[in-house]
Amino acid sequence: MSKPLSSRDWFGKISAAFILGFTLALALSGLFRWATDYGDAYFSSKGQLGMWIMALTWPLILSFAFLFRSASRAWLWLALANLMAWAPLVALGELQS
Amino acid sequence: MKLPTDVVRMYKEVHGWVGIIAGLALFVAFYAGALTMFEEPLQRWASQPSTLASAPSLERTPELLAKVRAQYPEAARGHEVNLVIDAAHPGRVSWRAPGGRRGEHGGGATYFASLAPDGALQVEKQQRSQVANFIDVLHQQVGLPFSHAIAMPIMGGISLLYVIAMVSGLAVLLPSLVKDLFALRIGRNAKRMWLDVHNVLGFFSLPFHIIIALTAVVFAFHDEFYGAQRLAFSDAASRARPMMRAEAAIADTPTLTPVQIVQRLKQQAPGFTPHQIVYGQGGGILPALRVQGNDPRYGQRGPTYGIAGLDPRTGEIVDRSFMPGMQDGWSATTTGFFTLHFGSFGGYPIRWAYFLLGLTGAFLFYTGNLLWVESRRKRERKAGAVQQTRATRILSALTVGVPLGCVAGISVTLAAAKVLGQSASYGMHSAIYYAVFVVFTLWALMRGAAKAGAELAIVGALSMLTIPAASLLGGHGLYDSGALLMVDFIAGILALGLLVIAHSAQRRAGSGAADSVWSARAQSV
Repeated sequence: MSKPLSSRDWFGKISAAFILGFTLALALSGLFRWATDYGDAYFSSKGQLGMWIMALTWPLILSFAFLFRSASRAWLWLALANLMAWAPLVALGELQS
Repeated sequence: MKLPTDVVRMYKEVHGWVGIIAGLALFVAFYAGALTMFEEPLQRWASQPSTLASAPSLERTPELLAKVRAQYPEAARGHEVNLVIDAAHPGRVSWRAPGGRRGEHGGGATYFASLAPDGALQVEKQQRSQVANFIDVLHQQVGLPFSHAIAMPIMGGISLLYVIAMVSGLAVLLPSLVKDLFALRIGRNAKRMWLDVHNVLGFFSLPFHIIIALTAVVFAFHDEFYGAQRLAFSDAASRARPMMRAEAAIADTPTLTPVQIVQRLKQQAPGFTPHQIVYGQGGGILPALRVQGNDPRYGQRGPTYGIAGLDPRTGEIVDRSFMPGMQDGWSATTTGFFTLHFGSFGGYPIRWAYFLLGLTGAFLFYTGNLLWVESRRKRERKAGAVQQTRATRILSALTVGVPLGCVAGISVTLAAAKVLGQSASYGMHSAIYYAVFVVFTLWALMRGAAKAGAELAIVGALSMLTIPAASLLGGHGLYDSGALLMVDFIAGILALGLLVIAHSAQRRAGSGAADSVWSARAQSV
């Protein structure tokens, strides 16, 4: 078995979640945006909900990032999750060119 | 529920550290936030009655509007017709002076107008006290004396820590939930008792805290989130901000009279009580003619109101996105979040419930700090220390000084509104609050938690009593409603609570374990 979890390597885990968690939340809001096909971001109610999705996911990723076995695993897994969330957005042409 | 022990231990450490960083700021945010539930009554309590003549009837309002437009051309850009005349809205017609920051977070001075008995125009600059607004800002900025731009990211950081504290706290509590939840062991073991209290409060107000944390993150970071979306996604920029909608539409001066608008609205939305008709202002998101009011059967999008957007010519409700009970599912969802943060549903019973939840939340963070200090004591004693370390002493002093300083500072600055009247500016309220706050905190640091605890609680009770004292000084003439006596009554109850706290602090200082920071005996050696 691997060694028990500890709060010692919090900095690596938290910084991974702070940066990659933010981009992951952004990608998820982009997928929501694509799925509901809303017009403008600021004045439509779907657009506002799309922003709320980021406010919900980012803090949760920060909270659960402590569960990664190590900081490097946190970076690795979150990077992978980012890849999976951004790939369809690239494919669908949703990104700013 | 079973969780691996290493997960629980890790989250326990995380919970302790994020709690200790965010706890005191959250105390201020929750205490001030609880008070904002009664922002309107507090405003009325603190404000002096208007000198305007009693408002003309709605039928005569077009005459008043015409006179206002003739003499104050800037009012043509945007003004309101107030349907409810009270201390906060003493005149039938009101508008904002140009020059001030417009938009979400600001505005110039507000003017109110009425008609004298002989038909002459009367205009009064807004008399209302800034103190309620100050408490609201204190709440939004978790007690930080910085500008909005600096305070909000810090508040956002605190709110992220708050989410982490919630998740980690739940992880710590879950394994022993069944055993501990209904056990409130009040006895000799102070730490056990505080832990039980902390668990019960935390667990049963969890839904409230989830909502508050989520909305706080949005309030702090919405610009950053929208900005990131605009940077990342295609055509988000070109779709953004049809900004000039309201400004352009104001050219179509509404042909309906206020009476007609109220009637048309009543036909379409019988349960909606209109408070204010607003003509053309408030940025691009809002329609040129809108009516603000509430419908207690639904949540309101604003802290105190929902909005019906009307067609200026027909009075038909065309914009329902903020209209209680008429929103589509998407709008109703986001409105739900706001409503649950503001407690703006169900009228005053819910406001009282939120007031108590807010105070409970403040108390939760306070008990969290106490627990941190207590567990340090245990650990340090095991390590062989006879007295608690300097860091723990400082922290325990802050745990006493910051909350009591916040409570006392708000009380004194509120009482000052009544005594100083017109001359009390926003800056003065801020200066009074922070002066009291800093003195309390420094006193606690100098005297130590044990002695300062009892002393500051007594002074805190006295500051609470300055509120009814200010009412007495002002006399009954300062109230526009007997219900405002409630403000003084609640202040009296809170003062009693503080005296009880002072009493138990004194007892522990005299007879508690001598190695504790709460013992006055140890420190006098």
